[in-house]
Amino acid sequence: MGRYHYIFPKWSNLLLPMMILGGAIAPLYVVMVVAYGFSPLTTDVGFQPQQPVPFSHKLHAGDMGIDCRYCHNTVEFTNHAAIPPTQTCMNCHTQIQKDSSQIEPLLNSYITGMPMQWQRVHDLPDFVYFSHSAHVNRGVSCVSCHGRIDRMEIVTQMKTLSMGWCLECHRAPEQHLRDPDLVTQLGWGIDRSLEQMIEDGSFWRQQNNLNPSQDCSTCHR
Amino acid sequence: MTKWFVSISLLLVCLAMIPPALIARQRAVTFTKPRIHIIQDMDAQLKFKAQNPNTLFNDGRSMRPPLEGVIARGDLMEDAHFYKGVINDEWATTFPGRMPVTLDLVRRGQERFNIFCQPCHGIAGYGDGIVNLRAMRLMDAPLLGNGTTWVQPKSVHEEAIREQPVGQIFNSITNGVRNMSGYASQVPTEDRWAIVAYVKALQRSQHARETDLHARERAGLGDPIDRRPRSDEGGGE
Repeated sequence: MGRYHYIFPKWSNLLLPMMILGGAIAPLYVVMVVAYGFSPLTTDVGFQPQQPVPFSHKLHAGDMGIDCRYCHNTVEFTNHAAIPPTQTCMNCHTQIQKDSSQIEPLLNSYITGMPMQWQRVHDLPDFVYFSHSAHVNRGVSCVSCHGRIDRMEIVTQMKTLSMGWCLECHRAPEQHLRDPDLVTQLGWGIDRSLEQMIEDGSFWRQQNNLNPSQDCSTCHR
Repeated sequence: MTKWFVSISLLLVCLAMIPPALIARQRAVTFTKPRIHIIQDMDAQLKFKAQNPNTLFNDGRSMRPPLEGVIARGDLMEDAHFYKGVINDEWATTFPGRMPVTLDLVRRGQERFNIFCQPCHGIAGYGDGIVNLRAMRLMDAPLLGNGTTWVQPKSVHEEAIREQPVGQIFNSITNGVRNMSGYASQVPTEDRWAIVAYVKALQRSQHARETDLHARERAGLGDPIDRRPRSDEGGGE
């Protein structure tokens, strides 16, 4: 036994192929984890911040069918779809559910004049200049970017809002175009096939002469 | 022997499974913590976007409300007819000169009515909107109602309201009336006039007379419908 003690054992022949295998897999692994893990599908989709008042879009916009524009009334003529002021809530809630503990922050805001600290759910990078009015007036529905808000108890980010995702639609918008009068009907088209949606979208694209730009300066100024 | 080598390899493979598993979990669940952007670029810049908070001011607003008494350019509202629905301290009975009543205006009014008024007033203006229905239900269930007090909106087809001049209807929309809040901040002036036009159209639609029809349409009406029960149908029950 003695003199073999300093000789590499037989299995050490495996080391080299194992190292080559490991060396080949490791970079692949890193690339995949980075691509998978740093994707906005991981980091952004599913964001559901806690709001100061558990406002239910499902109840107000879904079950009661109040139009999106009742509260987000600037969406048709400005870039920014305004979060409503406390006054808009109090149009009804000075009377309805006015003693509810959930509404208390709203009442405080109404009395003191301090703004509600609503948390922004959909936030684009600060170097992107997105215009709500430009999209809504041309027949891109709220649902294309925000999902079925009318079914959400708590608003959650559904889409990546990444540049690649924007460009997908700017290259082939048909699927997301509809009659501009129907943009706030989030459930519209749910019974239609993709082909029908594209056919309808093609009509509205032609009708309104829509040629979405893919220039950098369209969104980055 | 090779035992330790195999164990270490297995351990490494197992450890390597953890990050993908965590990522898969992150993709499947919702989360309340702020989004982590690994590569920040210039995502968050030192500037204020609309409605962003600003810690510099006590109320946290970056969009500063104007001081009391300040009037922005173009907001003087000199034209009392257009902005207040008033001519010589009387309710205007006509539409302002810059708001000619056209079919387009009425259609615009219909769209705006269905957004801003319909929830309470109902799609036909009878005061039976869905918010009204819900409020009524909440009043019937005091435990759920949390102090709900609600007065049903008046039907716009009541005679007193049908006789209101357009200026007064405009004023009700602008400044509110009884329990209703004013909608001046939510609905631009032009749209409020459009809503007035549509309300007038609604009112007329529910009190239309035969003489409102063109002669051609009237000819197609035939005899007035006889609503008396026919004798051969019997009593029913």
